[in-house]
Amino acid sequence: MSVRPIEVRILRCRPGRIDPPRFQSFRIDAKEDLTVLDALEHIRLTLDGSLMYRHSCHHSSCGTCACRVNGMERLACTTRLLDLGAGTVSLEPLRGFECVGDLAVQTEPFYRDIDPAWSCLKPAGPIGGAETGTEQGLQRFEECIECGCCVSACPATRSHPDFMGPAALAAIRNEMLKNPLAADDLLSRAGSERGERWCERALACSRVCPTGVYPSRHIADLRDELKGPRST
Amino acid sequence: MGGFEHILIIGGGVGGALAHDLALRGYRVTLVEKGELLSGTTGRHHGLLHSGARYVLHDPEAARECWQENQILRRIAPQAIEPNGGLFVALDERDQSFYGRFVDRCRSIGIPAQPLSGAQAIRMEPALNPTLQGAVLVPDAGMDAWRLPMHFFATARANGAEIRNFTEVTALRMTGRTVAGVDVLDHRTQGIASIGADLVVNAAGPWSGRVAAMAGVRIPLQLGPGVMVSVRGRLTQRVINRLQPAGEGDILVPQRGLSILGTTAWLADDPDAVAVPPDHVQRLFELGRTLVPEVGRLKPLAVWSACRPLLRSQAAADPYRISRSFDCFDHAPRDGVEGLITLIGGKATTLRAMAEKAADLVDRKTGRSIACRTRETMLLPYRCFWRRA
Ligand SMILES: Cc1cc2nc3c(=O)[nH]c(=O)nc-3n(C[C@H](O)[C@H](O)[C@H](O)COP(=O)(O)OP(=O)(O)OC[C@H]3O[C@@H](n4cnc5c(N)ncnc54)[C@H](O)[C@@H]3O)c2cc1C
Ligand code: SF4
Ligand code: SF4
Ligand code: FES
Repeated sequence: MSVRPIEVRILRCRPGRIDPPRFQSFRIDAKEDLTVLDALEHIRLTLDGSLMYRHSCHHSSCGTCACRVNGMERLACTTRLLDLGAGTVSLEPLRGFECVGDLAVQTEPFYRDIDPAWSCLKPAGPIGGAETGTEQGLQRFEECIECGCCVSACPATRSHPDFMGPAALAAIRNEMLKNPLAADDLLSRAGSERGERWCERALACSRVCPTGVYPSRHIADLRDELKGPRST
Repeated sequence: MGGFEHILIIGGGVGGALAHDLALRGYRVTLVEKGELLSGTTGRHHGLLHSGARYVLHDPEAARECWQENQILRRIAPQAIEPNGGLFVALDERDQSFYGRFVDRCRSIGIPAQPLSGAQAIRMEPALNPTLQGAVLVPDAGMDAWRLPMHFFATARANGAEIRNFTEVTALRMTGRTVAGVDVLDHRTQGIASIGADLVVNAAGPWSGRVAAMAGVRIPLQLGPGVMVSVRGRLTQRVINRLQPAGEGDILVPQRGLSILGTTAWLADDPDAVAVPPDHVQRLFELGRTLVPEVGRLKPLAVWSACRPLLRSQAAADPYRISRSFDCFDHAPRDGVEGLITLIGGKATTLRAMAEKAADLVDRKTGRSIACRTRETMLLPYRCFWRRA
């Protein structure tokens, strides 16, 4: 297994203490499959116990570990250091969220426009080759893991801090599909002051989403529905 | 905020369920967690909401606990569960030899177990190994390892519990032989502070031995780490187990658009040094492929380890045979240290039951007698945690 020395530059920050933030470098030997999250764990446990970052599932399911890796929003737990090419890797917190320390951000604003009552489940659908009917009643979790990558990458959330952002709009669209009775109310949220109107169709959201939600497609659907009178 | 004694919980894993139970009972609750909530074992386990079937052959007590809690969690946190059942598949003669006993044991505990022919199982889950001889459908389920416990944290906080992440306990404050609170390092401010408490509960999971040592006591903790691998693609809709006594690499849990292979187990001493042994990934792929051949064509998306905080037993040599049951210790009669309780063992599936047992002990120590209400109290959706009124 190949091992390469890598310089990991982390934007260190403590509001009021390490302020403005500054980069600090750590040198580590990266094995082939070492992820950014493995590297952060190694640095915290052996080099600097004060390093702050969020993590939980270690396999792209919880959404807590998102940060900017060489300027691009990614999940630390599924990004392999050696896949990034260069001998130096820079890590910064997500944009558009308040930093509570180093790579850890405050996620409360993310949930501002996502109603706690909206369902996290959807019908699981048939799996290739399964006998029709055997999928009846099966459910699975929605694709979105609420990581915030899309919000951080979206140019419109930066120019319009009130914009609810791509994740909330995608969530609205998904909820409309599952809950037709609430569709009119949901659509009016998408059309509100904070809604779809600010989206510049830059598609950054769909590019960075780690689980294939493609928020911009949902936004395009919402836009179509908002344009015409609802026919259904 | 409850008006009774102040209970301080160390550890944001199963501790979240305890914060909820104690807040409902009317205690004043503070929970401290050194990193993000659920950054220990609870956030990164395999994601199986056990029906108990996995334990019927060798650990009926754990099986019974799991079945009871499985039914309760489906009721109080339905949004955190993919409720699709699980198949135990018999691939060879040896597996077949357990078949009858497995079904009987499930039924004697009350776990619904539906025998299926190999052909019936393939019609439900076409990705299964086509040579399988038979299967049993049980009420296993998938859970979101982060969002299920976050339901408990959200409800606890709404009921007044103070939940502090990035707050690490560095010492127990002792007055003679009594624990009177904790010293904490707040990683946000890098400041040190003391928090006084009437009782401290050590729910630090794999690190609970270190917390107990701060009071000079030892606990019967055995660390049993394990490796898991996720692959892209939802290969099955249901959880797939090999029909045999629980062992290595015999389970596949689908979740969202992923499938998760697991797990291995070994014994360890240091909760912070559980690197993935090099050959484990390959072993998990080889074993996973025998259940679902498609696995052999996939690459790992993520490889990670987690550390089981097990209750040490006399026959601790085989990590698969240490009971998955849990226990709660009052260190006053046991070690002569007042004001400290330790909660260890169990499963993520049994977090509510673990909390109930610990809260009952808190009641006994404070001289109160308050009914537990967590079985029937619907939990708030986890997103409420970040939407403070
Ligand atoms: C490989 C593997 C697979 C598993 N799969 C499943 C499964 O599919 N289903 C299931 O039900 N169970 C499963 N389990 C079991 C389950 O995950 C654990 O039993 C359970 O999560 C343990 O919870 P805990 O709260 O005791 O420990 P933890 O979740 O680790 O919580 C302890 C917390 O205490 C914190 N802490 C430690 N020291 C301090 C301190 N000084 N100050 C402040 N905080 C501190 C830690 O950071 C940690 O977050 C699995 C376990 C493993 C290892
Ligand atoms: S498509 Fe719209 S929502 Fe998505 S990144 Fe671009 S501006 Fe933001
Ligand atoms: S839509 Fe994608 S990028 Fe945005 S929060 Fe959800 S998972 Fe993350
Ligand atoms: S740690 Fe859960 S998504 Fe990365």
